[in-house]
This record gives sequence, structure tokens and C-alpha cells, in this order.
Amino acid sequence: MARWALISGLRGDLEAYEAIQADLRHTRRVDTLFVLGDVIGPERECNALLNRLQQPRRGELEPQCLYGWWEDQLLAERGYRGERRADALRLSQGEAAVDALLQAVDPAHMGWLAALQFGFIELDCALLHGSSAAVDDSLEPASSPLLLLDRLTRMDVNRLFTARSGRQFRLELSGGGIQSQVQDLEGQRHQQQGVPPRQVIGIGAGVHYTIYDPGSDRLDFLAAGSRPQQRARGFA
Amino acid sequence: MAHAVISCLHANLAALEAVLADIDQQGIDTITCLGDLVGYGPQPNEVVNLVRERQIPTCQGCWDEDIIEGLNACDCSYPSQLAERRGQLAHQWTADQLSEENRAFLASLPMSLWRDRQLFVHGSPNSQHEYLLPDMDAFAALERVESAGAETLFCGHTHRPYVRELRDGSIRVRVRQTPGEPAGVAEAEDRELRLPLRRIINAGSVGEPRHGNTHATYVIHHEDTNAVEIREVPYDVERTCRAIVDAGLPPIFAWRLRHGFEYAERADDASHVCER
Amino acid sequence: MSPTLLISGPPGCGKTSWILNRIRNHRGPCGFLRLVGYPDEGLLQARDGGIDLAWLQDQCPGLLDLADPDQALAPRPANLLALIELPQFQPPADSGLAGLDRRAIPQLEALHLSPDEHLHFGRDDLLPRQDTLDFNSLQALERNLAGSVWDPASLSSFWFELVNGAYGDVYRAKALMNLPDGRAFFCNWMVSREGSQFLPLQTTASPDGRPQRLSRLVVQGKDLDPAAIEVTLADCLLSDALLELEQARLRQQEAPSHPSPAA
Repeated sequence: MARWALISGLRGDLEAYEAIQADLRHTRRVDTLFVLGDVIGPERECNALLNRLQQPRRGELEPQCLYGWWEDQLLAERGYRGERRADALRLSQGEAAVDALLQAVDPAHMGWLAALQFGFIELDCALLHGSSAAVDDSLEPASSPLLLLDRLTRMDVNRLFTARSGRQFRLELSGGGIQSQVQDLEGQRHQQQGVPPRQVIGIGAGVHYTIYDPGSDRLDFLAAGSRPQQRARGFA
Repeated sequence: MAHAVISCLHANLAALEAVLADIDQQGIDTITCLGDLVGYGPQPNEVVNLVRERQIPTCQGCWDEDIIEGLNACDCSYPSQLAERRGQLAHQWTADQLSEENRAFLASLPMSLWRDRQLFVHGSPNSQHEYLLPDMDAFAALERVESAGAETLFCGHTHRPYVRELRDGSIRVRVRQTPGEPAGVAEAEDRELRLPLRRIINAGSVGEPRHGNTHATYVIHHEDTNAVEIREVPYDVERTCRAIVDAGLPPIFAWRLRHGFEYAERADDASHVCER
Repeated sequence: MSPTLLISGPPGCGKTSWILNRIRNHRGPCGFLRLVGYPDEGLLQARDGGIDLAWLQDQCPGLLDLADPDQALAPRPANLLALIELPQFQPPADSGLAGLDRRAIPQLEALHLSPDEHLHFGRDDLLPRQDTLDFNSLQALERNLAGSVWDPASLSSFWFELVNGAYGDVYRAKALMNLPDGRAFFCNWMVSREGSQFLPLQTTASPDGRPQRLSRLVVQGKDLDPAAIEVTLADCLLSDALLELEQARLRQQEAPSHPSPAA
């Protein structure tokens, strides 16, 4: 079965994207490239990367893109989210960051950005920027397992790939359970529920990306450009 | 001390009067209401007036919100086109009937109420539109209570009363992360989270039952013993059915109420939360 | 020589189901005719409008329509089993062929049909009798739904209300209903039975616009409220715009593009 490459958090960095594409040309059996959002950011002009994502060069994998937190902020500020504006960005980084974001993206790209999806379901996996709860939901290795299990349950998937935290990790739910007792007008029911063997996977950000093989469930956390020197760290 | 919790009145005056009489008869004077004072039923002003007269602490339901904010429920919260059209008709009728004063009262209602570590909401702590059904995933149910920081969660919205206790929970995880990450090690790390005992108490519905018969339902929480009693109260259903027809609401609403069927079925995907 | 069988009985007694069974068990060609039936005092016959024939032809491709005048004059195939259905509330006064309603004879003669046998539900033990009810007065309501397409979940709610008495005391309801995905269902309910039948037709249309085939609702009962049914129908049937929206989604699903959007 073919493998997936998962990237996020490029924030306008075309060089990082090209480095990943160059890596992927030498990586066997990768047939799908998922971009889990945050292709834009306020730090640099993003139009070159946006053009490239929409018009891949020959020999490059065509990216399947989602919107991330930064796209959501820009879409809100440009009136694509009803009444909502980029208030989260304004509160956390100030008006200057909002201006920088507006400057970084040519309005001609808004149609393409507005058409991006919140998430993909592939096989038994959910591919999301944040989580099933929200695009800004940052899942980390230290997040409450109860919260992580809830996010998996909401999508009814076995694996949730997330990018928001920028971290690369695999967290497996490995055991546990809970007792539930319900009393209603029909009587009393008791139920023992186990923890399903599910996983949350952080795919990294920028040059840090992930290769996933759905056939063997093998994950490789990689950094673009360092591949010849670096031994892939696989968690089978 | 005993404490009565009522929910989902849906503009059904006869049902509300019967439930309040049942509460009074037991000498209970602490009442909390979980919203949906209006919607579908024929007496929105009368019901809101009575809740205001009795000064019952109330949080806002999805119908109360929609009436003041304009129809906000997303299409996906209706299971069928028929349910959606009927819901919109009921919404329009209710919006036309409601007095400015009562509209302002509904707008003033809080999303949630607290009493010690008891949390009172209409649907779930996440949303007035989310259904916490009695058989929903136990971990997801516990997450709703725990993330809100409550010990006991009182909710309504499903129109089916229940008491759910979640105990002896634990989740074990194995984490592997790349070296170089803060505090990261290449080796697998095992952790276990012990989950606390939590309760979800659903107050059912006063005005639009969905539990198989026509009786109004509500719950009484006996705080000294922590016991919860689910009460069923018969009321004059025909009085409300006549009022539905007299008000010019669709006669099918009366037929459905008379037979113990809710006015509009609940959405198929009960876990769905409207993102708007 | 194969027989020409005429069976009669009150609404919902199982005439069409019995005929379907006979056709399936017959090795050789079959033909079908439904006579309109004649009103008795206080009892109105419902105009079936071709539901039974359409349902049987869907289930038994090649079934001959004996009401077709061209076929009536053509030589009949050897071994043809001709089945004639006659809605009739009251049992015949005489047994066997002598009990056949005289009013049916001119139509049968015009179609060159001469029954060899007449069986009536409730009278003849060859026929099942569990659904054969006595009727004293009965209203009928028919609604042509040609070109109509249902929101599936709304159809389920409407049918639930219909057979549970929201629009009057219904004894019998049957219909052919179209869904947006091109399927059609034969919906069948009888007061003496538990639950409704929803049987898919084998012939489906492409999910592209409004299907051309027969679609019809027939209800028999007391104190029926056609105006209330119309109000509900208007809330259940899909508009052109919603139908196209739904069918565009279905067409897209048929040709899945990679990857599939979530949420």
C-alpha cells in the first residue's frame, strides 16, 4: 500500500516546501502529500508558496491541503467567517500581526483558501490541523488522555493526525476502562467500557514532517534536508 | 435539602403548572430550570411569565437563543426536511407571539449556572445544541463533565430523563516522540490517568416528552443523601392540544403531543455540534 | 391449457401479494389485470392508478398487461397464467364463477378474458384470510405523485404519522414513492398487520432529475383529512433546487475523488 507524507506549518516558507518535495522524490512509495494547514503566516510574503501549491511543478506530488489556524484567521479577517474577525490573533499578537498577515497574502488567493476543507477522512484516520473540536485545538503528548480520547471518539476514527502543536509524536491509548451506570424510567443498566486502542499522531511543522504507511502502521518522523545524514526514526 | 430541576418547558402551560404543583406539594422551594421555555407549544408568554413570577433560576436553551438571535440552528440539527419546515414554522409563530419584555428576559439568561460543583446547562457544557444521550460513549460523557470542572452535570435537551454515574475510570497511554523535543525521549513513556467519579443528571422534559408516554418529567436531587428521583407527572394534555389548535399552530403538533411523540425528531447524529 | 383466475377481496386482504406468489411459482408466461371494482353502499373503491401493475411488472419482468387492448386481440402464448384482481368489499352471494360481479363481465369480454375460476378472500379456503376484514364504511383518497421525489427521512416521518392515525383512521395505505438516489419503494400498510412493508423496486432511475415512472399514494379509511396530508406533503417533497443539490452530491459520491473531505 502506498504511503502518505504529512506536512504543516510552512507559513509561507517555499524553501522548506521545496526541501520536502526534494526529499519525497527520493522516498519510495509515497503517493499522497497531505498539507494540514498553516501554509500562510505573517512572517513572510506567502504568495510564491501559494502559487506553487496551486500549480505544482512537474514531478512534484500534488498537495492535498486543509486550512489551518492561520488561514482561519485570515479568512475571518477578510469576512469569510460571518461576523467573526481575526480576534484570536489580535488578542494574542496584536494589531501589527493582523496587518502583517493581510500583507503577506495577495487577495487573489482568497478564493482558493476559502475552498479548503476542515479535515480529511482517509481509511480509519482523521487528518486535521487541530482536532475534531476546533482548528485551534492543540493536542500534545502531555494533553489529558481523556480529552484525546474524546477527540478520537468525535470523529469515530482509530487515528487522528494533528499539526497544531507543531510537535512530532505518537500517543497510543494502551489500556484502561470505565464503569457506567444509567438509571432511567426503564430501569437500571450497568456497562463496562474499555479504552479502544486508538492513536493521536503529531506530524510536526515546517521542515519537520511525517511519513505514514497505512499498510504496516509504520510512522517515520523526518526533517527535510537532513535526510542523507539522518537515520529515519521509525516507530513500527 | 431537596432541589428540583426542570427543563424543556416548550410553551406548555398545563404541563408546567402540573409540575410546579407536584414540586410544591413536596415542600421543595429550590428549583432550577435548564431552558427551552418556548418553542412548538402554544403558550410562550404564559410559560415565561410563570417562570419569572416564581423567580426560578434558569439557563438559556437552544430555542430561547434562537428566538432572540434569529434562527440559528444549523440545517444539520434537523433530521428531515419535514422536521425543519415545522421547526421554522414554530419558530416564526413563537417569535411573533413573544412580548418584548419576555424576549428581553430570554436574552438575559446565562448559558450555565453553578451551585458549588454542580453545573447546570441546557445541552452540554460545549453547546446548547449538543445532546448528551444516556448511552453515549462513557469517556466522552465524562469528558464533558470533567473539562467543565464540575462534579455533577445537570442537563436537558434530550427530553429523556436519566441519571448516569461514571466511576472507576482510567486511561493508559504510551507516548513516543522524536528526540530533541522539549522533555522528549526516544524511548516510549507510559502514563496512566485515573478518572474521578462524575454524574450526569438529565431532567427530561416538562412540555414535550420523548420517553414513550405523555407525562411531564423532571428530577429531584436530594442533596443530603445525593439520591436522584425521576418524577413523572400526568397533566391535562388535551388542554394544551386545544390551545395548539386554537392558536393556529399545525394540528399535527397536537396529534404528536397527544400520542407522546416529540414535535420534531431529534437529529440522527446526536453528537453533532453546530460550528456556527 | 392454463387457467384464467379471478380473485376478489376487500382492501388490504393480500390480493397482490398472493398474485405475486403465484406468478413466481408459475413456469411460463403470466398476465395480470386489475379491475377497478365497484362501490358498495358507503364504501368507496380507491383508484389504484396502476400501482399494483407497476409493482408486479418491476418484480416480474415480462409480465403481460392484460388491460392492453393490443394484447387482448393478439394470440395468447401457450401456458399463459392469467391473473385478474377485483377489489370487492362484500363476499359474493353465490359460490364459484356464479358469484362473479355481473358488472365486471363486459370489461372482461372486451379484453377476451373468460375466468375459469373465481376465488374470494374470506370465502374460499384456498386463499389466506388473516388480513380479510369486514368493512362497513370506507373513504378513499388518492394522490398522484408523478415526478415527486421525497426527502427520505421526511417520507419515514410522514408514513409513520399516516399509518398511526394523524390524518384519520387509516385501514390501508399503499404507494410507490421516489427517492433522490433514483430508487423507488413500494410502501404497503394494512391495519391488521404489524409494521409497514417498504420494498425497493428493482428498476432504478439515474440520480438525475425527476423520474418519469408511476408514483402514487392510495389511502383507505375513515375521517381522512386530505388537506392536512397536502400540508405535510408540501413539507416533505423536494424542490427542484434541493433535488439537484442532493443528486449532485450523490453523483459526486459515485465517482469518488481523492481525498474525501471531512466535517
